[in-house]
Amino acid sequence: MDLKQAINSPGLWIASSLMIIVILTQCAIYLRAAIKEADNLGIAPERWKAGFRSACLTSIGPSLSPVIIMMALIAVLGTPTTWMRMNDIGAARTELAMVTLAAGVAGVDPQNPAAFGLKGFSYALWGMALNNLGWMFFTLILTHRMSDVVAKLNTKYDPAWIKYLTAGATIGLFAFLLSPRLVMPFKASNWCAAVVSAIVMMIVSKVFANQQRLQELALGISMIAGMYVTVVIFG
Amino acid sequence: MTNPEAYRQKCIKIGLVSVTAAIIANFCPAIYFYITYGVMPPFSDLIKLWTVAAFTFGVSWFIQPTTFFSLMGVSGTYIGWVTGNCADIRCPAITMAQKVAGYEAGTPEGDVMATMGITASTFTSICIITFFAVAGGELINQLPPFIKAGFKYILPAVFGAVYTQLCTKHLKVGFLTIILAVILTYLFKTAKVPNWILNIAIILGGVLIARIDFKSKQKKA
Repeated sequence: MDLKQAINSPGLWIASSLMIIVILTQCAIYLRAAIKEADNLGIAPERWKAGFRSACLTSIGPSLSPVIIMMALIAVLGTPTTWMRMNDIGAARTELAMVTLAAGVAGVDPQNPAAFGLKGFSYALWGMALNNLGWMFFTLILTHRMSDVVAKLNTKYDPAWIKYLTAGATIGLFAFLLSPRLVMPFKASNWCAAVVSAIVMMIVSKVFANQQRLQELALGISMIAGMYVTVVIFG
Repeated sequence: MTNPEAYRQKCIKIGLVSVTAAIIANFCPAIYFYITYGVMPPFSDLIKLWTVAAFTFGVSWFIQPTTFFSLMGVSGTYIGWVTGNCADIRCPAITMAQKVAGYEAGTPEGDVMATMGITASTFTSICIITFFAVAGGELINQLPPFIKAGFKYILPAVFGAVYTQLCTKHLKVGFLTIILAVILTYLFKTAKVPNWILNIAIILGGVLIARIDFKSKQKKA
């Protein structure tokens, strides 16, 4: 059996699309529940629609960034598997790392299609599935417990402090995501991209606070400014 | 009629069912491949694969859903850890949905906007990824070099802007936390301390700084 044919077979497309169907259904159900709750809470439809629109626009840029690495994955895993794994948990680099690790367990080279073969591919499929199971399993057993803890904290302590605590934890999380781009290795170009986009974000948020449509595009505009000012300066 | 507790319980119920369905779907291609082609790693190798994955990513399995919870909320967590890309796609979308609608994270309204933001971002990213998976990467290769050159700065630019957005209401906390984070990152990475410890340390630092700021504001009031 030809590997290329097997990894792009219609059957595999169908098997891979099940995950996408689950995700789309899950999102549709949650969205319906959220719209109903927005109504209960008295959130005006214009307000949540503007938020929804902004989230759509904001996601375009970051969704494009894994496309290049996706091409590398398609070459090794075929289109249906790559398509499924890029849409579910595990960033592109995580999947690529897992495929390499799985090939190591199988004793084959992922870069060499002749050696990789059906065996290498099946190891990659199982490896990615087992790895992704980790996140989903912990989400399944932890989320309602964490939610219970937060609900309890809100009744036990001052809700104003809990809101502050949430903000502190979120700011800490993004400080953790941002700081490795700034130091280790220290790159002036990354500082430039982060600082320019931060300044543009600040200007759009503060100076143009009344321009609702502009607010929806704030992140996209800041990102593009940060990226391309850096390209102009550093190449 | 508002009843945040009923909404929370409903979100948990949807989450438990949908994540279970996702776990089943997660194994379908591997099982299909075994049924059709008869190729599957022996049980001992499955254990090896799991062990390799657990050693490499095991701490993230546990730490990431926990540390992102404050921003993502209940339904965001159930969706986000099935669809992935929480840091670079989902969280920015949630932040913008809350900002544009004018609600803060950690409030019932903020939670609803988080759900809307994350579903919006999932629909968008599925469309984009499906388009490029099917249409092929040729389109990306056709882009002018200047446009492509910007791609390598996407992450610092996204995180810089999202960070600023998160800090607009807590400037002092934001300013002090990023300084602390840069120093800790430098020290921990030089000492080769594992990343997940750095993750927890910076978040605890942020919470501590928020606590000090909260107390000093209370005193002033």
